[in-house]
Amino acid sequence: MLMPEPDQRVIDRRHTIAATLKTIVPKRCVIDSVESMRAYDADGLSSYRQLPLAVVLPETVAQIAAVMKWCHANGIKIVPRGAGTSLSGGALPLADAVLLGLGKFNKILDIDYDNRCVVAQPGVTNLAVSEAVKADGYYYAPDPSSQIACSLGGNVAENSGGVHCLKYGLTTNNLLGIEMVTIEGEILRLGGKHLDAGDYDLMGVMTGSEGLLGVVTEVTLRILQKPATQRALLVGFDDVTAAGSAVGDVIAAGIIPAGMEMMDGLAINAAEDFANAGYPRSAAALLIIELDGPKIEVDALISRVETIVRDAGATSIKISQSDKERDLFWAGRKSAFPAVGRISPDYLCMDGTIPRRRLPDMMIRMASLSQKYGLRVANVFHAGDGNLHPLILFDANQPGELERAEDFGADILRSCVEMGGVLTGEHGVGVEKRDLMGIQFTEEDLKQQQRLKCAFDADHLLNPGKVFPHLHRCAELGRLHVHKGKMPHPDLPRF
Amino acid sequence: MTEFIPTNLDDVKDAVEYAKTHRQHLEIVAGGTKQGLGRNMTFDGVINLSKMTGIVDYQPEELVMSVRAGTSMDDVQAALDNANQMLAFEPPNMSLALSRGGKSPGTIGGVMAANISGSRRLTAGAARDFLLGFEAISGRGENFKSGGKVVKNVTGYDLSKLMCGSFGTLAVMDEITLKTLPRPETSCSLIIATDDFSQAVATIASVFATPHEPGAAAILPRAIADKAGVGLNSNFVAVIRLEGILISVRDRVGHLQTKFGGEIVKHALSHPLWQSISAGNLCDDSPRDLWKLSCPPSDAAGIIEVISDRYDIEYFADWAGGLLWIGGNGHALGNDLRLAIDKCASGFVHLIRDVGATKDKIEPFQPLAPSIYALHQRVKAAFDPLAVLNFGRMHYGI
Repeated sequence: MLMPEPDQRVIDRRHTIAATLKTIVPKRCVIDSVESMRAYDADGLSSYRQLPLAVVLPETVAQIAAVMKWCHANGIKIVPRGAGTSLSGGALPLADAVLLGLGKFNKILDIDYDNRCVVAQPGVTNLAVSEAVKADGYYYAPDPSSQIACSLGGNVAENSGGVHCLKYGLTTNNLLGIEMVTIEGEILRLGGKHLDAGDYDLMGVMTGSEGLLGVVTEVTLRILQKPATQRALLVGFDDVTAAGSAVGDVIAAGIIPAGMEMMDGLAINAAEDFANAGYPRSAAALLIIELDGPKIEVDALISRVETIVRDAGATSIKISQSDKERDLFWAGRKSAFPAVGRISPDYLCMDGTIPRRRLPDMMIRMASLSQKYGLRVANVFHAGDGNLHPLILFDANQPGELERAEDFGADILRSCVEMGGVLTGEHGVGVEKRDLMGIQFTEEDLKQQQRLKCAFDADHLLNPGKVFPHLHRCAELGRLHVHKGKMPHPDLPRF
Repeated sequence: MTEFIPTNLDDVKDAVEYAKTHRQHLEIVAGGTKQGLGRNMTFDGVINLSKMTGIVDYQPEELVMSVRAGTSMDDVQAALDNANQMLAFEPPNMSLALSRGGKSPGTIGGVMAANISGSRRLTAGAARDFLLGFEAISGRGENFKSGGKVVKNVTGYDLSKLMCGSFGTLAVMDEITLKTLPRPETSCSLIIATDDFSQAVATIASVFATPHEPGAAAILPRAIADKAGVGLNSNFVAVIRLEGILISVRDRVGHLQTKFGGEIVKHALSHPLWQSISAGNLCDDSPRDLWKLSCPPSDAAGIIEVISDRYDIEYFADWAGGLLWIGGNGHALGNDLRLAIDKCASGFVHLIRDVGATKDKIEPFQPLAPSIYALHQRVKAAFDPLAVLNFGRMHYGI
């Protein structure tokens, strides 16, 4: 993966720039020694590492604004960073860019039960919101797997999901308002404790923009009452196609489970070795189907789902009788990544989405790609919404294996798009899938997206090298061709 | 006046190219039911999308429908009914409230462009939450798409959010892909008497602090409640709707009644009542301007108190108090509503129906702060630099 050529003139000025930053924010907020900056040289996509120009950890919104204003005036790039848990390299530093860390913004500012929302700073972790309102029966619905560590600002930047987003939506569906700082250092408030934009939905566009449009400095989140009951079914199939059909049958019956997860044979066994969750080792596919809501409703739906999966050919069905048992069902699934990490020195986690009905085709395709590349693949899958997480097993110490694994991954994502799906369901494009954007989008599509970028950041100073494979100058993108102006279809009557 | 009646995006592109060359401003119309929204403008021509119709693909099990922008909401609804599904944001039929005559529910393109949602918006999300992707011609005359045809996707900027609520000022959509959901098996509405508006807001907040999953909540003053057949001889009623499978709805309504009292609304009355609430169509006794105000629910009572002292208004609330529909006359009312909103933490006021010439004296859409306005202008220029599409419809210069 090639990053944009760093600007050597900026790198040469590193010490001067760091010194100036120390006059804009308190000295303790600037980290510029190489040893100390090591902690910031990668995010969750740890195969890519790069030391930043300097790290700035502001303590107030005014400081963020001042840093950005100065960087903008001096043509210095900025890479925003929350907790650094991105799986796609969204917070990967650049050699000629200031890394702007939001870690000190770790306070919940307002818990407002009258309006059912929480106002928090962007460095607060996702889980901390639910913890803060738990005693009163509330929670914050989006629950990315990294929720103990990932921060709310990062959740907005990546539009994070989680296993329950089938029923409760992604970050974008649970976000009411933001405060943001533009690259010019201007502080804007979008949305709030009310509903809907009333104008252009700029908050909607900021959500999932991967740090390319602005820096989020405050969020207002919708909170919900925790469902009274949660129960899960653990269902084995001896055939992946049957499991896929069962998922479709549940939804066709008008039931939207809180979560509906699938694992294939390799993932089942890796997880079982790791977590002893009682998974059926001989099954070719396993479904975890969780229902939540009032007890009477959950009990009724559990029995409906039981009938549906039995009719679809389930070979084993367990129904949780206690929260402890439900947690055990999930324990295997939630440890799937480390479990796979135990059976292979390294793995790559992919994140495409397909229309659910194409799952059997996808499994066949993956098996043949696995043969072609000589690498194993374990599959975990947010089955309800068609979001695949194939884990490609490889050994980085074997020459050429990382490249082979990456090529394998790219082929899987190509197949996702070919089958009517998309490159990323929840991990973001970042640097990881940047060069694949042309598979899903035409040049015109990408140019239009970049024109939006130009409206926010005309000099491409915010997080450059992410999301878009080619950086077009805004002046070039803005050029407009006007045709000679013949009336279209001059032969047709107009009235 | 030129009228373009495209049948596909190539035709739309031709129309936009023509307008670019001749520096024309074009109006985008499909059903025309929402033409009354926004500023009064004159245009050089019209792009009429009423021939760009049809459901392209509908896979109920995938929860995905692709439909062309000019398709009538009646046709969309019929297809959804057939599969026992719904658009969960409960798109209302705005025709009656907008006083455009007729009962046409408009087109799906219009619903999405105006980001119009009904009562279930409170818990299920707005129109913008259900637009998964689209294909369009920008004001530059270029064909582009965004999003996808699957329910979970974070690839690239979420331009779907931008298209919803942009009132055709950025691009002309053709095929749009929506997320559908199963229709609840049944619903039941509970009415609870309260002495005043703020007590109604507080009661609803208490209902939402239970795990009984209310789905919609409105507040009706006595006169409106009586007329709708849900009066309780109290100054206000809070109307709470629960949805789901039958045994669950019965159980939850039972719990709420035990805790809050109240009466169950007759089933035959409930559906039309929520249709009217969703459409802002209860303030229609006499021809008045209609204002739509979105604010934090806890601020609504204060706004009503200030305004009802000074103006002869008719009003009710949806979205747990966070959406006020206010009927009343004169631009001064709008100015005072906006002053009241400025005192809240956040919100906006839009003029939805103008029975006189109120729009001559006040902007129908909430004016933007200078920095936000400047960003709007740059976003407009990114899509439509020559101002071909619905120029000035939302705001001056946009």
